[in-house]
Amino acid sequence: MSLHTAFNTPEKEITDQSVIQLKGVSVRYHVPQERIPSFKEYAIRWIKGQINFQDFWALRDIDLEIGRGEVFGIIGPNGAGKSTLLKVVSRVLRPTAGNLRVRGRISPLLELGAGFDPELTGRENVYLNGAILGYSKQEIAERFDQIVEFAGLNEFINAPVRTYSTGMYARLGFSVATFKRPEILIVDEILGVGDAEFQTKSFERIQQFQGEGTTILLVSHSLDRVKEMCTRAVWLDHGKIVSLGSADNVVELYLQRTNQLESERLRSAPEETSEAPRRWGSQRIEICQVKITGEEGREQNIFQTGESLTLHMDYHAHEMVNFPNFGIAIHRQDGTLVTGPNTALASLELPSLVGKGKITYTIPNLPLLEGLYQFSVAIVNQGDTETFDYHDRLYPFRVINHNSAVKERYGLVTLNGEWRHNV
Amino acid sequence: MSFEYNSADVRPPFIGELVELWRYRDLLRLLVTNSIKTRYKRSTLGIIWTLLNPLLNTLVLTIAFQQLMRFDVANYTIYLLVGLLFWTFFSQTTLQSMNTLIWGSNLLKRIYVPRTIFAVSVIGNGLINFLLSLIPLALIMLFMRQPFSLTLLLLPFAILLMAMFTLGLSLFISTLAVFFVDVVDIYSVLLQALFYLTPIIYPISVIPERFMIFIQLNPMTTMVSLFRSLIYYGELPSMAITLGAIGLSVVSLGVGWWVFTKRVDEFAYRL
Repeated sequence: MSLHTAFNTPEKEITDQSVIQLKGVSVRYHVPQERIPSFKEYAIRWIKGQINFQDFWALRDIDLEIGRGEVFGIIGPNGAGKSTLLKVVSRVLRPTAGNLRVRGRISPLLELGAGFDPELTGRENVYLNGAILGYSKQEIAERFDQIVEFAGLNEFINAPVRTYSTGMYARLGFSVATFKRPEILIVDEILGVGDAEFQTKSFERIQQFQGEGTTILLVSHSLDRVKEMCTRAVWLDHGKIVSLGSADNVVELYLQRTNQLESERLRSAPEETSEAPRRWGSQRIEICQVKITGEEGREQNIFQTGESLTLHMDYHAHEMVNFPNFGIAIHRQDGTLVTGPNTALASLELPSLVGKGKITYTIPNLPLLEGLYQFSVAIVNQGDTETFDYHDRLYPFRVINHNSAVKERYGLVTLNGEWRHNV
Repeated sequence: MSFEYNSADVRPPFIGELVELWRYRDLLRLLVTNSIKTRYKRSTLGIIWTLLNPLLNTLVLTIAFQQLMRFDVANYTIYLLVGLLFWTFFSQTTLQSMNTLIWGSNLLKRIYVPRTIFAVSVIGNGLINFLLSLIPLALIMLFMRQPFSLTLLLLPFAILLMAMFTLGLSLFISTLAVFFVDVVDIYSVLLQALFYLTPIIYPISVIPERFMIFIQLNPMTTMVSLFRSLIYYGELPSMAITLGAIGLSVVSLGVGWWVFTKRVDEFAYRL
């Protein structure tokens, strides 16, 4: 921003209630098209005039006002500009254009313990970290005992930090970052600090701050968390604001959009590969419609591990059929069969069917891990000698795993096992 | 204390950075004391190393050069030690400030602190080591009956110039190092060459006339001569040396500070 524009813009005073105010904030990364890490290389290219720079707008024309005591969520896909926005607010990056005003002290809870010197004692690190956050020596000295007390490190405070466990590290970091109530607290992802007891304690402290007027900026991949904690939220994509408003609304819109995009993708995908017939059977009883719904009965194609999923099959028996057996199968995209339950195995005795009706199959806690899966549905006769209708892998759905409750990543299913260490 | 930040405040970064540095003075003080603490924490002899190191170094070099090269210099040990003390300060702080900034990048990407603070703290740390190593120098001077001249009173002035000169250069090459990784390596090599181009282990008189210009154009020669005049020769430095040293320090600090603060907003994009 040039001198000229800064002086000529009549600046509205920051209003009483707004703590963070962004006006037309843009951030441009001016990056060489390829990374030229060495000076020698750079000099050679520079002489030859072969350096092509590319402008990349990480944020574009962002207008935002965030008020005192708000819990404000920032959501969006990777690369949407969420962390750039945080960096601008916390003064790490100066915007290329536009104006940012911040009123009050900012405490970032980014990576806890960044800025610790492992060789120094816990005591020395408390002072160091406090000073990095902009507190004076005196301010820290006055609250020193409380900081140590809160972190629960009384006995270890004079030991070098390199002897600390990760949990101790994080506890001390959190304790220093929050020993005084900041006007603005930046929380990137969720605080996985220490044991359950400490998590409760730190969560309570954040809530207390909020009650006393601290503004909280929360970036999280967990949309549930954003809905649960935030009053308002912004959805960013490609550096622009897509939607801004109440957290519930913004999350809802975001989910709809991602669902829609995903469905479009899923629908267009199978047609390319289908060669073998994907539906067969005598059609004496027919499955006319299949729906996959989530907890609230809304149709969806994307599920989190652990969520509830219900498969609906609307059937139409064109003539009377005795003891039909409804079955489903779940395949992973690569063809691995996950499971194939059916009503006969489950001892659900179906009487003679005629006309229209509906069968549902509900999975209360979906144990599947991240991946693309397909449902097959079928109706066969009692002895499995006649297939009435078979839809082979026609109903795709995707499982994602942003849910912090499920701590598994590889393979097909979560077993919900528990790790123990016995010394 | 109130914290108001307006990204459009166009206080020139040149000045603004100074104000910020003052606001973070407690952090600056901690960075200096901590680096001294960590350096000596795990060694038994601790701070004694700072005293012993130049002594042993000088001993080795004295034996090597005085015996082999037969320089015609009175009290060669003192001549050598004065040069070495300056050189150690200069080379170590410039190298260290580059590395500290790269180390500190982890922090700089996450939280705001005035970004000159790393280079300034390295200078502070270097100054403490420099002052400590004046003790063995004084001991050797006593031992060799070198007179203590009144010009020693001007030493603080020379030290100030040295600090300004080195800080400026540190900031300049740190800026380069942020953008290009190999600057650290290139600089180490240059430093080695510069060492031999500066009359530290040899007297200026051994240089043939036709190469003299290179030695005299070398800014390090001016800085070393300043210290030699005050400590070794016990006389006021010549006008050329005095003005040269002042000019070099002011220009170095001015340019270094300016380049650094002008580019500093790009650091977070690059580091």
